[in-house]
Amino acid sequence: MQNATPLDILLFVAFPYLAVGLAIFVGVLRYFNDRFSFSSQSSQFLENRALFWGSVPWHYGIVLVLTAHLLAALFPTQWGNLIADQTRLYVLELTGLALALMAILGLTLLIVRRITNARAFSVTTFWDWVLLADLLLQVILGFWIALFYRWGSDWYLHTAVPWLWSLATFNPQIQYVTVLPQVVQWHFLNAFLITALFPFTRLVHFVTFPITYWWRPYQVVIWNRQPRTGKS
Amino acid sequence: MQDWHSLKFRIVVLGLIGWVFIAFAYAAEAAPPAQTPAEGQKIFQEKCVGCHTIGKGKLVGPDLQGITQKRAKAWLVQWITAPDKMLAAKDPIATQLVAEYNNLAMPNMALTDAQVASLIAYLETQSGGAAPQPTQPPQPQTQPAPAAVVGEPAAGKALFNGGQRFKNGGPPCMGCHSVGGIGALGGGALGPDLTGAYAKYNGDAGLTAFLNSAPTVTMNAVWARQPMTPQEQADLVAFLKQAAVTERPIDAVGQLAVLAVAGMIVLLVIAQLYWRKRLVAVRRPMVTKNRIA
Repeated sequence: MQNATPLDILLFVAFPYLAVGLAIFVGVLRYFNDRFSFSSQSSQFLENRALFWGSVPWHYGIVLVLTAHLLAALFPTQWGNLIADQTRLYVLELTGLALALMAILGLTLLIVRRITNARAFSVTTFWDWVLLADLLLQVILGFWIALFYRWGSDWYLHTAVPWLWSLATFNPQIQYVTVLPQVVQWHFLNAFLITALFPFTRLVHFVTFPITYWWRPYQVVIWNRQPRTGKS
Repeated sequence: MQDWHSLKFRIVVLGLIGWVFIAFAYAAEAAPPAQTPAEGQKIFQEKCVGCHTIGKGKLVGPDLQGITQKRAKAWLVQWITAPDKMLAAKDPIATQLVAEYNNLAMPNMALTDAQVASLIAYLETQSGGAAPQPTQPPQPQTQPAPAAVVGEPAAGKALFNGGQRFKNGGPPCMGCHSVGGIGALGGGALGPDLTGAYAKYNGDAGLTAFLNSAPTVTMNAVWARQPMTPQEQADLVAFLKQAAVTERPIDAVGQLAVLAVAGMIVLLVIAQLYWRKRLVAVRRPMVTKNRIA
C-alpha cells in the first residue's frame, strides 16, 4: 500500500469495512428489535401483471449474476480453470450479459410500475426509491463493464478478488483495484454502498432467500368455496 | 422504521462510523521510505527495467545513462511522476520523445514524491558525473531472458488464450487483451489490443524485458506475485511476433450486444412459456366467479 493516497484508503479500505460493519451490526439489531420487518412488503395484491415481467426477470437475472460473482470470489482457482477454455469463457460471458440485460429490463419495469401505478406508488417509501435507483445504477455499471472492459470474469479473479480477500483477512491490499478504470471502481464502491443500505431498507429480504423451497414438503391448499347453487 | 431507529441506536451507529474513520486515518499516515540511491535502485529494478537500461542501449524506451545531465532535474521529477499529465499539457520534450519511441508513451507508474526522489538519486550515481558515451554501440539486450530460451508461437498462443495455464498462476492474456488470430469474439478489452505490440515494443528484446517485469501499474498488480517464467515469456513473444502480421484487431462489442439481447429474449420466452398459466389458474377465476355470484 506504499502508493495509496488517503482518498484511496478511505474509499477502498475504510468504506468497505464500514459498509460490512453496518450491514452486520444494524442487521442484527433490526432482527432482534423489529423481526417482522425482515421482508419486502408485497405489492402483488395491488398489481400483478406488470409485476411478473418486472420481478421475474429482475430476480432470476440478479440472483444468478450475483451467484457467479460470489462463486468466483470464493473459488478463484476453480473459476479460473473453468473459464481458461475460450469457448467456455464466451458462453459464460454471453450468459452473464443476457442475464444482466434481463435484470436491467426487469428492474426498469419495476421502477416504472411503482411510478405509474397509483396503488404501488402510494406504498413506496423514500428509501425504496433510493434502493431501486442504486440497484439500477449497479446493474447498468456491471453490464457496461462486461461489454466494454472484457473479460471481467477473467480479470476479476486477479483484481477485485485479491482485494476482497485482503480485506477479509485484515491485510488490505488496494493496489489491485486503484489502477483500474473509474467505471470499474464505481461498480466496486457502489457494491459496498448497497451493502451499507442493506440493513436500513427492504433489501433485508435478501437473507430470507427461500432456499428451503427446494426440499420442503408440498403444501396442501384447500379452498372453502361457496357452492354456486343451493345457497342456504 | 420503529424503535431500532431510536436516538441511542443512532449514537451507536455514528460512533461506529467515527471509529472506523479514525482507525484508517492512521493507516493513511504510513511512513515514506528513506530517499536513498539504494532505495532508488530497488525501484528501478522493480519498475523501470521493463523498458530502460543504464548504459546498455535502448530497449522499449531510451537508455538512461547520463540522463540527469541531459535533462533538468525539475523536468525529470515531473516526467517520472506524471508522464500522462505532461503529455496532456503538450510538453515539447515529452511529445518529441513519444514520437521517437513508436508513439508509446511512458505509463504513469504511480510513484510517490519520495520514490521519485530516490530514483533520481540512483540515476545520478549511475551517471557517475560523466557524460554519456555516444561511441558505445547499443548492444542487443539479452539481460532478462537468456538466449538459450527459444520461443514457440503455438505454445505462446495457448498461453494467450488459456489453453495452457501459466506455471505460476497468472491469468490468460486474453482476459484483458485482444490480438489478431484468436477466437471469434476476440480477447479482452480492459487492456490494449496487442496486434501491433511486437513492433511497438521494439521486437524480441523490448517485449521480453517488458513481460519480464510487467512494469505498468495494472500489469504489475497482477504479475508481481505470480511472474511468467523465461520460457513463457519467449513463447508469448514468438506468438506476438506472428500475431503482428495478422492485420485485424477484433472489436466484438456489436456482436456481443446483439447476442446478449437475443439471449435475453430467449430467456423471457422461456419464462412466458413456463409460467403461461400464472394468471388463469386458480385465484382469478374464483374471484371473478364470486363477484358475479
